[in-house]
Amino acid sequence: MAEAVAGPLDQHHFAIRRLHSLMGIVPIGAFLFNHLLTNSTAFLGEKNFDDHVLWIHHMPWLLAIEVCFIFVPIAFHAVYGVVIALQARSNVSRYGYGDNWRYMLQRVTAWITLVFIVVHLVHFRFAHWFGAESYAAAHPYFLAFTQQGFTMWLPMSAWMVIYVIGLAAAVFHLCNGLVTFCITWGVVIGDDSRKRLSLAAAALGLLLMAWGLISLYALGTMEARGPGGAEPAHVAQHEHLS
Amino acid sequence: MADAQIRFRIKRQDKPDAAPYWDDFVMPYAPGHNVVSALMYLREHPVNARGRGVEPVVWESNCMEEVCGACAMIVNGTPRQACAALIDQLTQPITLEPLSKFPVVRDLLVERERMFAALKQVKAWVPLDGSQDIHEGAPRISPVDQSLRYLFSRCMTCGCCMEVCPQFHEDSRFIGPAPLGQVALHNQHPTSTYFRSERLQALMEPGGIADCGNAQNCVKVCPKDIPLTQAIGELGRQTTVQWLKDLFVR
Ligand code: HEM
Ligand code: SF4
Ligand code: SF4
Ligand code: FES
Repeated sequence: MAEAVAGPLDQHHFAIRRLHSLMGIVPIGAFLFNHLLTNSTAFLGEKNFDDHVLWIHHMPWLLAIEVCFIFVPIAFHAVYGVVIALQARSNVSRYGYGDNWRYMLQRVTAWITLVFIVVHLVHFRFAHWFGAESYAAAHPYFLAFTQQGFTMWLPMSAWMVIYVIGLAAAVFHLCNGLVTFCITWGVVIGDDSRKRLSLAAAALGLLLMAWGLISLYALGTMEARGPGGAEPAHVAQHEHLS
Repeated sequence: MADAQIRFRIKRQDKPDAAPYWDDFVMPYAPGHNVVSALMYLREHPVNARGRGVEPVVWESNCMEEVCGACAMIVNGTPRQACAALIDQLTQPITLEPLSKFPVVRDLLVERERMFAALKQVKAWVPLDGSQDIHEGAPRISPVDQSLRYLFSRCMTCGCCMEVCPQFHEDSRFIGPAPLGQVALHNQHPTSTYFRSERLQALMEPGGIADCGNAQNCVKVCPKDIPLTQAIGELGRQTTVQWLKDLFVR
């Protein structure tokens, strides 16, 4: 049995590793960027958020896109990532170089992100399997619904802590992964170019982190009006169409 | 300095499958000692710090000038060449441990066969198929290329880089950084490029370059300052191209 599994994995070892590396950037990294974009519309106001989510929900081929470009790649990257992470014998306590710390953190944030993604999916995407209301039922008051989610099962402060940790882990994992991706594929080779890339990745990381945090801030502080408030502008229009 | 001493804490192991234990040693100070010359003194006076006669400590060394690689061990927590570890620059007691990533033969002596096997696996040599002249004129190498290659050529297979690599250990198949440096060297050498694709294909097997986790520890401890991470980046690029070639051209 073990042999049968090892066979093709060994035969295509290099290709699988490269695929794992690529998936981290596209589609998963690209998705994370897009996801932060969506979330940050909350900072721009309830209407912006509701309109944007509504637009996503009306996208053609939505389920197929979700499965092919989000679920399957993340599942593959996560499962094979666990295999890779289990092969590490981290030794920062002996050799505390910065690069070694980042190597260790790439793996630690992988575990945190894995747990966070599961929590996040249960919290919103599959909440209806666990007795809560489905996200689709929120239509078209998505921000109000999301905000309710942040007081469901746990107090909002607890959710905020979980989301800040999950955000930080995912952002670090992506930005550090961008650097190792470039080394892995041979995009950067020399020490100087690697240092420049690391600085750029760190800047990107801070930017993404700030972007994510203002979304959480908006979610935590704003008063979403929901069904009682004004209708999102596009609702009426969409209702006509459907 | 007449009463000054040199104190050692040495991790010992009587045979390959025996349990390791620590033994302390004290010897009179003398200027200019390095770890190997001090071990030589202890070999002549095999008495531990508690005054008990013990079997002399076993280790390996040859050149005494940091070029053969034999005397690599962990000195005060860092893998390095014992012959180049000057007592005057070390905090005491000086701890000596065998490299942990290779099987211990006895005391500080380890079996580094795995590294040599990896060098064979990746064909890290210049192929010769006879004594005839295979070039029209000697191949020209620019001084810039030459000086980079010279760096790589100094690898002495000591294993320090392997010791600190978090991806190289008993349960992994990773060939480790030193053989990667040698592939980078040989893939550049004009008379050695015939095996280029074969070397890259060997590197694309399980345990090859894809198993490097980019921790970049290797380059920080190499006693010969070999730019290992540059080799890894370069080979990442070469294998990427080779992979695409194999996918679309073959
Ligand atoms: C779900 C749990 C996840 C696990 C268990 C995981 C695991 C890993 C591991 C172990 C590595 C190191 C691979 C290596 O050095 O060879 C890695 C690399 C990477 N991951 Fe993840 N990951 C996860 C989620 C994510 C997510 C959500 C993203 C995108 C935001 C992502 C993006 C990356 C990138 C870009 C790399 C770098 C690839 C490279 O070094 O070539 N990962 N992942
Ligand atoms: S690359 Fe450096 S540390 Fe590694 S075996 Fe060669 S000389 Fe030793
Ligand atoms: S860069 Fe690669 S080879 Fe060097 S220590 Fe890190 S994992 Fe090992
Ligand atoms: S004895 Fe040769 S490197 Fe130390």
